[in-house]
Amino acid sequence: MAYKVAVGSSNGEMVDLKFGEASKFMIYEVDGEQFKLHEMRQVLTNPVSKEGLDSIACSKNECGKNGCAGNGRGCNGASDVVEKVTLIEDCRCVVCQKVGFQAQKQLERKAISVFDVTCLVSEALSKIAYYYNKLDRHESLRKK
Amino acid sequence: MAKLLDKQRYKCALGAMQTVQAIERALPVLHSGPGCAQKLSDTTGSSGYFSPNIFPCTSINEKDVVFGGVKKLHSTIDNALKVIDADLYVVLTGCIPEIVGDDSGEVVSEFQEADKPVIYAPTAGFKGNNYKGHEQVVDAIIEQYLKKSEVKQKGLVNIWADVPYQDLFWLGNIRELEKLIAEIGLIPNTIFGFRRGIENINKIPEAEFNLLVSPWVGIGNMKKMEKKLGIPYLHYPVLPIGATETSKFLREIGKFAGIDADKVESVIKEHEDYYYYLIERYADLFLENRVINKQFTVVADAQYTLGITKFLVNDLGLIPAKQFIVDDTPKNFREQITEEFKKLNYGITAEVSFETDGYKIHEAIKQHDYHGYPLVLGGYYEKEVTEALKGNFLNISWPVQDKVVLDDFYVGYTGGIRLIEDIYTVAVQRFN
Repeated sequence: MAYKVAVGSSNGEMVDLKFGEASKFMIYEVDGEQFKLHEMRQVLTNPVSKEGLDSIACSKNECGKNGCAGNGRGCNGASDVVEKVTLIEDCRCVVCQKVGFQAQKQLERKAISVFDVTCLVSEALSKIAYYYNKLDRHESLRKK
Repeated sequence: MAKLLDKQRYKCALGAMQTVQAIERALPVLHSGPGCAQKLSDTTGSSGYFSPNIFPCTSINEKDVVFGGVKKLHSTIDNALKVIDADLYVVLTGCIPEIVGDDSGEVVSEFQEADKPVIYAPTAGFKGNNYKGHEQVVDAIIEQYLKKSEVKQKGLVNIWADVPYQDLFWLGNIRELEKLIAEIGLIPNTIFGFRRGIENINKIPEAEFNLLVSPWVGIGNMKKMEKKLGIPYLHYPVLPIGATETSKFLREIGKFAGIDADKVESVIKEHEDYYYYLIERYADLFLENRVINKQFTVVADAQYTLGITKFLVNDLGLIPAKQFIVDDTPKNFREQITEEFKKLNYGITAEVSFETDGYKIHEAIKQHDYHGYPLVLGGYYEKEVTEALKGNFLNISWPVQDKVVLDDFYVGYTGGIRLIEDIYTVAVQRFN
């Protein structure tokens, strides 16, 4: 089954963007060990939709009150994190130079794997494709 | 089809972190997933200066599986050297890095110039259990740390026995072996336990010979030392428990080391006199055959199954039912060990089974006719089945839930007496 991978890269060569600073993600489609660029996704600057916030257990209004130890920003952290996670929620994993703790936690909630590496985009994608391909076929990763 | 192993008695090879922990001021550095050390640690004396909860660990995750974890390993070793004051750093690899092909040996070799020695032992779980892992750690010390010595210290003997922590009585046993060896005029050298550590490791190459007291664990290490360090070895397969075996043991070592036979005999006499004085005083208890069971079964690793069977037959005159060795002994040693079970006094032989499946062991115990209540010495797993048969149970092998052992031991003359005490303490409770 084909799946998508979100990559934080400014030029398509290197994985050189941090998750927080990325204003767009390159979405690759991977099938088996083959991958190709599917689309570019721009991070919208609109505030997160009301719907998005309602699904959160602890809403912003309640955060930090009534015994909640939150920082007043809700369980999802800063809204731009939620926005970015929502933007790539159909992806299996995200590849960025660095992914902050808050963002990692939010990605985990959506079962999106995080690979924070600095290398060529092609290298990252071929390693990830190899890994998921083995995983999906229930084959051992053991190197001969 | 894949099989399930019921009640296994050992851990994965990474359990060798306990072998490292047994060396004072030696620190395991784990290249493994988070949680390995926690799961592998028993609460049987594993806290202290270093404990499994603080072992440096790369805590590798999915990213390291895909992209390799060597960088993390490098920084973990680097920082362990900076913040943890140890004498020897032993990098141990778990299964994940070995499956995905991290070259941990290469990373470790980059630390050759470090102030403290850093060595590496591959201990992936799929390579074997913690008995194998123990051998890997000792191998790593021989291969990567020790150097051949031109100077030999007369009478110095390295003593090697079974696996620390896996063997509940490891500390007491090795101290008692040291004591016995010293009494016949040799100088013992061991690396495990209180005040041994790196200084004793450094003395290994100066020894006249290696003494291995184990049915099979460590034979590979002995051969390696013979080849690399030029140290001959004496392999004594029976853990000597009680007078019969311990006297045999001392005579054989005396012969191997070329010690005056009179000296050995005088040591033996001294011990045997006291040993039989104690036995005599309690002869009425031992001869009251209502108290103790007629037949016994031992469920343990090769050293205790063999050692205790010999002791109970030769010294206490009990009859062996089927015996079980549960340490997954490599096939090439099994025949030799089986032979040892035929060398019992009074022409008695014992049937032994190399079985790792607890279910099958329990079925065999239930089906055997013990001519009364059974006496079972085994792991905690055997408690329930023994109680169901109204037998007497003593927890002597891993897993241990029923006994706290700080430095107690079963080896030697005194050890035999301790074992008698423990068995009869259980037996007499029946009549309370």
